[in-house]
Amino acid sequence: MIRLENIEKLYRTDTIETIALDRISLNIEKGEFLSVMGPSGCGKSTLLNIMGLLDAPTKGEVKIDQQTLTHLSDKQLARFRNQKIGFIFQSFHLINDLRVLDNAELPLLYRNITSKERIRLATEALEKVGLSNRIKHFPSQLSGGQKQRVAIARAIAGNPEIILADEPTGNLDSAMGNEIMDILLQLNRAEKATIVMVTHDETMAKKTHRLVRLFDGSQVQ
Amino acid sequence: MILHIYKLIWNKKKQNFLLMLELFVSFIVLFVVFFNLLGFYNLYNTPRGFEYRNVWSVNYGLPAEIKSRDSIAAQIKILKNIILSMPQVAGVSFSSVNVPYSSNEISNSVGYKGKEVMSSMYMTDQEYAKVLQLKMLAGNWSPSKRRGSTAVVINKMLKEKLFGAENAIGKRFNSGGSEDLVVTGIVDNTKLTGDYRSLENVLFKVLDTVGRDEGIILIRVRPDADAAFESHLYKIVSNFSKNTNVEIEHLEKKRIVRNNFILVPFILVFSVAAFLIINVALGIFGVLWYNINRRRSEIGLRRAAGASGKAISMQITGEALILSTISLLAGLFFAIQFPLLGVGDVSAKVYLLAIGFSVIFIYLLVIVCSVYPAKQAASVYPADALRED
Ligand SMILES: Nc1ncnc2c1ncn2[C@@H]1O[C@H](COP(=O)(O)OP(=O)(O)O)[C@@H](O)[C@H]1O
Ligand SMILES: [Mg+2]
Repeated sequence: MIRLENIEKLYRTDTIETIALDRISLNIEKGEFLSVMGPSGCGKSTLLNIMGLLDAPTKGEVKIDQQTLTHLSDKQLARFRNQKIGFIFQSFHLINDLRVLDNAELPLLYRNITSKERIRLATEALEKVGLSNRIKHFPSQLSGGQKQRVAIARAIAGNPEIILADEPTGNLDSAMGNEIMDILLQLNRAEKATIVMVTHDETMAKKTHRLVRLFDGSQVQ
Repeated sequence: MILHIYKLIWNKKKQNFLLMLELFVSFIVLFVVFFNLLGFYNLYNTPRGFEYRNVWSVNYGLPAEIKSRDSIAAQIKILKNIILSMPQVAGVSFSSVNVPYSSNEISNSVGYKGKEVMSSMYMTDQEYAKVLQLKMLAGNWSPSKRRGSTAVVINKMLKEKLFGAENAIGKRFNSGGSEDLVVTGIVDNTKLTGDYRSLENVLFKVLDTVGRDEGIILIRVRPDADAAFESHLYKIVSNFSKNTNVEIEHLEKKRIVRNNFILVPFILVFSVAAFLIINVALGIFGVLWYNINRRRSEIGLRRAAGASGKAISMQITGEALILSTISLLAGLFFAIQFPLLGVGDVSAKVYLLAIGFSVIFIYLLVIVCSVYPAKQAASVYPADALRED
């Protein structure tokens, strides 16, 4: 499903050059649930951003569904993200001025579908995360766990094949974190979603199919 | 997408209120400015109705010791003939002090068959129309032969107000309720009081003999009349007037002074309006710009969700346009009241044009102010915007 070949990422500033990723090669199968661990600053987010086509590698190639994606235009990349990938972040990144339903339908706005269809898909996604009774709320009226569930609903509203989650439970207490983890596991099992999750929590990582450890930009496991 | 943007704006209405108010006020100000500009443009384009070039106005007086009506008339006749005899002079006419472009105005009510309107009045002699090259539409410019009634030439506007479609020549009406006037001619409308004054009712009394009150000589000079001639003329009239002050003015100059007198206050108002609009433009720019920096994470998220850079920049511009549309709708509601209230008698076309120009101006302003912020928003790098350390 996702194939990384010799990915290198360099950050250059005037004074310093950081090797965020050093020759990473990874092959993630369709339907796989992969977790990524490693100390802070080792390149986990960078790896996820490159997989998610939000950032370009300095060297190497990214292939999704056998398609090489290194030379696509901004518009083509945006379209690809929209169709194939759902993102979940540690700090939720909800739009505070929009109600839950409007937040959840965000990816659908960038598709050519009717507003009726958008509402249907977003409502369905909110049902899956157990938030169908909160669709008129604003993010500020929700708990951290509920906010993350809205973010998951937003990630899955467009039925993407891939979900990229960057420390999705990092801002939550363990009870809420477990709820979120259960939803992700359920998505992987029931909907065959391919999931890549960055986490600091060993017990959560153990629940996934495979674990990749990074250290200073290199893969150590 | 429009609905989505509308929701965003609506839910942020408190933050957006000030900007919308600014846009609303700008629209009203622009409307008033365009309305006046169009008014000026229309007035400027209205035919003047007379020729001011090569006309001089000479302010003179007769010596105080000349008292009787007859001797005054005789003296004036002598003066007139002296001036006329000069080769640079094409025509001479005596007029009351309200010569073209002067700040003096004389008006009185006139009535005909129960109709009563105000009209400007000019006391003139038989040469007046020739000197100013007024355009006669009917009748002629000659004094009354009947004792006790004064011949008048009225302009088209007054003719229509008093007599409608009837033939006005020979009709008698009154001024100030008593004075008996008889129409001997009709002239086209004239803008004697300035190029930017709206047309008004005008009547010219054509006097058989002028007196002290007709204290200004209008002289149509030939193009070769120069400064030497002017000082010669000055000496002759001064000599004649003995110790009264003589002043020679050119209508060309008086016209400029008069027009400026009307235009300058408006230019000041327009400058204040322009200043306000510049402020609003900077305000719009500032708010959009500030929002881009505050909304980096939202922009990053939208990019992750599938928005291209172009979609982001269109959203920023779209937000600004929807915001201004709301303000414009509020502004239109007020602007439409003006014609409904029947303010002035300006045509509906001018109102609609003023509204149209203001709407276009606001939209252009908003688009121009959002170009750079929108471009900036499009170039936000999603991976950076979403970083959470
Ligand atoms: N835009 C950037 N400019 C310079 N250095 C960066 C930038 N983004 C990330 N880095 C550096 O790259 C390394 C990896 O960062 P990141 O992938 O965020 O780590 P992690 O998510 O594992 O904490 C860090 O040393 C970080 O400082
Ligand atoms: Mg990280």
